[in-house]
Amino acid sequence: MTTHKFLFSSIFFLFTFLSFSQQNQGLTVSGQVVENSGQSIPFATLIIEKTDFSLISDENGNFTFKNIPAGKYNIVITAVGFSTQKKQVVVAEKDVTVSVKLSNELNELESVTVLGRSQVEKVNKQAYNVTAIDAKKLHNSTLDLAHALDRVSGVRVRESGGVGSRSELSINGFTGNQVKIFIDGVPMENFGSSFQMNNIPINLAERVEVYKGVVPIWLGGDALGGAVNIVTSSKPRTYLDASYSFGSFNTHRSTLNAGYTAKSGFTTEINAFQNYSDNNYWVNVDIADLNTGAYFPNQRVRKFHDQYKNETVIFNIGVTGKKYADKLLFGVTVGENKADIQTGARMKSVFGKMQQRGNTLMPTVKYQVRDLFTKGLNVNLTANYNFGQEQNIDTVFRRYNWFGDYKEYPGDGSERSRTLRKFKNNNGISTTNIMYTLNDRHSFTVNNTFSSSDRKESDELVPESLVYQQPKKIQKNILGVGYKFDYNEKWSTSVFGKSYFLKNIYSRSYNPSGNVGDVAYQQYEDKTSSYGFGGGSSYYLRPNLQLKGTFEKSYRLPSINEVFGNVNENLEGNLDLRPETSNNFNLGFSYQTSFNKVNALTFDMNVLYRDATDFIRPTLNNNQTMTTNVNQGRVTNHGIDGEIRYSYRNKFTAGINATYQNIRNMTEYEPNQDYVSPVYKDRIPNMPYMFGNADASYIFNDFGRKGNNLALGYNLLYVHAYYLYWPSMGGSDKLDIPEQFNHDLNAVYTFANGKYNIALECKNVLDNKLYDNFSLQKPSRAFNIKFRYFFSKSTK
Amino acid sequence: MKRNSKLASLLALIAFTTFSCSSDSDNPGEETGGGVTSKTKYIITATTGATGVADYLLTADDVSTGSITTIGNGVEQDGTYRYYITAENNFFSLLYGQGNPGAVTTYNLDATGKLVKKSDFQAETVHVFAHINKDILTIKVPRSGAASIASMYKIDAEQSIITGEAQQDTKILAGNGERAFFTWATQVGEKVFMPYMSIKGDGVDNFGTVNPDSTWVAVYNYPELKLEKVIKDNRTSYLGAYFTNGLFQDEKGDAYGFSGAIATSNAVLASKKPSAIVKIKKGTTEFDQSYFFNVEEKSGGYKISSTSYISNGKFLLLMYGNVGANSGAVKMAVADVYNQTFTWVTNVPATLTSATTRYNITTEDGNSAIVGINTPEGNWIYTINGTTAVATRGMKVEGGQITAIAKLKY
Repeated sequence: MTTHKFLFSSIFFLFTFLSFSQQNQGLTVSGQVVENSGQSIPFATLIIEKTDFSLISDENGNFTFKNIPAGKYNIVITAVGFSTQKKQVVVAEKDVTVSVKLSNELNELESVTVLGRSQVEKVNKQAYNVTAIDAKKLHNSTLDLAHALDRVSGVRVRESGGVGSRSELSINGFTGNQVKIFIDGVPMENFGSSFQMNNIPINLAERVEVYKGVVPIWLGGDALGGAVNIVTSSKPRTYLDASYSFGSFNTHRSTLNAGYTAKSGFTTEINAFQNYSDNNYWVNVDIADLNTGAYFPNQRVRKFHDQYKNETVIFNIGVTGKKYADKLLFGVTVGENKADIQTGARMKSVFGKMQQRGNTLMPTVKYQVRDLFTKGLNVNLTANYNFGQEQNIDTVFRRYNWFGDYKEYPGDGSERSRTLRKFKNNNGISTTNIMYTLNDRHSFTVNNTFSSSDRKESDELVPESLVYQQPKKIQKNILGVGYKFDYNEKWSTSVFGKSYFLKNIYSRSYNPSGNVGDVAYQQYEDKTSSYGFGGGSSYYLRPNLQLKGTFEKSYRLPSINEVFGNVNENLEGNLDLRPETSNNFNLGFSYQTSFNKVNALTFDMNVLYRDATDFIRPTLNNNQTMTTNVNQGRVTNHGIDGEIRYSYRNKFTAGINATYQNIRNMTEYEPNQDYVSPVYKDRIPNMPYMFGNADASYIFNDFGRKGNNLALGYNLLYVHAYYLYWPSMGGSDKLDIPEQFNHDLNAVYTFANGKYNIALECKNVLDNKLYDNFSLQKPSRAFNIKFRYFFSKSTK
Repeated sequence: MKRNSKLASLLALIAFTTFSCSSDSDNPGEETGGGVTSKTKYIITATTGATGVADYLLTADDVSTGSITTIGNGVEQDGTYRYYITAENNFFSLLYGQGNPGAVTTYNLDATGKLVKKSDFQAETVHVFAHINKDILTIKVPRSGAASIASMYKIDAEQSIITGEAQQDTKILAGNGERAFFTWATQVGEKVFMPYMSIKGDGVDNFGTVNPDSTWVAVYNYPELKLEKVIKDNRTSYLGAYFTNGLFQDEKGDAYGFSGAIATSNAVLASKKPSAIVKIKKGTTEFDQSYFFNVEEKSGGYKISSTSYISNGKFLLLMYGNVGANSGAVKMAVADVYNQTFTWVTNVPATLTSATTRYNITTEDGNSAIVGINTPEGNWIYTINGTTAVATRGMKVEGGQITAIAKLKY
């Protein structure tokens, strides 16, 4: 951290110094590129004709030309998917501010609207396979991020229950830790259970980018394949977005997002959210008699010990739009959560008192500066440190059944394993991103992500334990260097190389004297380095037909839980774990068309191949009491996913997406077996391989009153049945996770130009039985109502 | 040591080992299983690869020849690890649920010899399960932390329901500052003998001990499960091992205890006494001080890993492969406890990955053990003759490693 501090202050002073020296060399021309709707257009190219001045607008469409001599100029503004515009500016004595409005190319035919995702299409300009969700379109829904992602092709989010339940993201067959999640480019590692995909409301995000396969260099990190980047709003503006929703199972959620940016650049932001639910939804279970163990088969009861609550506040203060800092924000994320634990890995294991708690206390700093030292050199630094801790509580010596009845025993015992264990990972992450745009064609990126964890554990039930006093430290550093070549508007190529470094510090016990009971610890330090590389290319065959291909040799370093274990999750560490690696290939195309000036259609398709080795996978430990992760085996995936979307004027839109992934076990020989594994080439079990979504929505414009809109929406989620265990094994009576259909309906009424919104939702309309993991049942039919107030004013 | 036919038949009624299914076949008055004839069906359980692990129940009339596979065949068992026990001609499949309450599924054979599910019931995750009278006794023992209460459950093997419970504070039972950890339970006469190891259970070195050279057996009455006494010896170490039976009753009513002498402290072997067999004479609750079979000496320094009973004083031993250590690929041997002889089994594969001695059953004549043997080359069922110590290769099991073999009548 000290080096960063030093670096930071040197940059600060240097830049302050530099900005003084630049004062009198010319004037600035700045502004923002927006759509007709007012929505900003990121990464637009701006060229001042007959000069050497050119740049690319930032992610908010903002741009600033500096040191422009007085004169009359034409600025040519281009952005993919939009018609090119020429804007005349006169630079005389004062700095000039221009606003640029571009029309969508489809828009020209008739008012645009490839509804649902059009606003974020610009992200797709990158030579990566990326799908972006326009989160703003979902701000009136009660979705959390995980459920919003579940609607993207190639992506499945599997959860173990209702609000706040553990969820796991899977992109093209890679799951859990193999997929990296970022928030504004910062890896969400060890942020604590109070700030996770399953509790962050969609309103926090402006858009969510899903990278399938290659993860761009500026995101950094060590994904095996696939990443999600949650992009929060970063526009200098004054806004307030407040919402409250209430629904079935005593579910209350509220969010408050507010920001203020003064003309002086002073900026403050607060994002707060809260989730509460009893999660007492109906389930179908066999209920055991507490005394005899005999089952009352197929009873329908409510869950009785699944309450979840969390509250999280993110506060930032600083400046934006200054010469020394386009953005400098100091912040803190504070959160806590409490979750009752109703079941074990199977519904058959019922608990009535066990719970988990966690909190997050994470100071953060973000610093962004553009054109540092020289034009086109942009630097982005972030750092955060989480002081939060997690605790499992299991101290009640009872046995429950699904009726909620229990039998209590005397003495010290538990429902599963008596514990009050707390642990902290003391995780710090710093990211450095330096991007240099030499000119229109060449740009360079260097990204470094450093993270450090120092695990501390304690349990007041066993205060004297020596195990907790041993060092458990992990340091990771991932350095990436990338180069992007934009031959012209049509063709763009990126290549990159990455270096991964892992250091584990731990100790092993030994007996120093040979006498019975004697114990001592010796400290060890292990280091591993790996090197990966990749690249991608994007080509527009026609303005509305884009082709993309990407390749990456990726590595993922083992996480602190995989190395040191997590007793709260019954996971034993493995100090010998190596990085896992994969070769990822993607090929995609997207096509937009329209007819009769009112109908718009988009097609997207993506084919992929994955070849992963040294796969980190769980197995049981030696005495079969906990799971542990080992490097084993090879897995391949041939997959295809696609989406078709249609819209009519700005009234109606419907889309369908589908994913098929052929994930196969290519481990020919298991350890200690010289014969070909019987499940060689078999489909990986317990992993959905065919799924899709369909949705439709209709907007009644000027409903009731001019400017008021009513939108009706429908969403269908389909997951094909899949086997829990190896498909080739066993007779006819195999265990499976049955085919699932989930229908959601919603109605949103918007009035006063979007200031006030009321949404009504019905989830799982047909009350179908839904499952994800090991047959854990998901919520039965639920109703929600959400009220939202939204106000925004641009600072400029 | 008097023998009379009345006693013999009484003894036959009693399961002499926890998994000795052959005793069931002698059991008159069998009411379950849909009309018992004299036909035998073998149930072979096999488990697949290292991920997506599940067990499959396969059935066969004859395990001495041919082959069988789990590919497209067998009854799939839910849950990663399962253990099995046969009692009253029913086959119980127990989920090992890592502290969670787990489901038990009961199977039996229909009139045509097909394995059918009889019932499901809820039980605790346990690591001791033994056939006592017409019950299955299961025990859940805490290994660390503040909890020290072991719970015992009596399950009616015919009705598949829990009929009673008892608790034992394992710290009080050990009485030496450590805690008692039952290795197994064995019916001896009318009582239940539970050998235990003394463990620290301190969260650091849970299974370590500072008492590596003592033997304990807790004696309980049945069905009350009241502790009557603890018998102790200092010539070898604890009997059995974690999850492993080390006490067997022979046809005469004497009990023999098997110790690997493999107690550890901080993962280092701490036992100084040899791996040995001790004896508890019929009707007594004391170790017979006149009897001591020093297996470690007779075997050339090897230690016992696990044991199963064949018949007439002959036991199949699985020995650790490294001299004087609790490590190394296991090797098989036959021990005759009456004559104190030790013979290495011949004609077995050079490298054993694992063997199903936990579930060992015998041939119809009672002279040979039937064992599933998993090797790097493949997996087979072997019979091992208790007199000659010669192994004979039988059925090949494909598609998974053999985890258990059991026998039911129909």
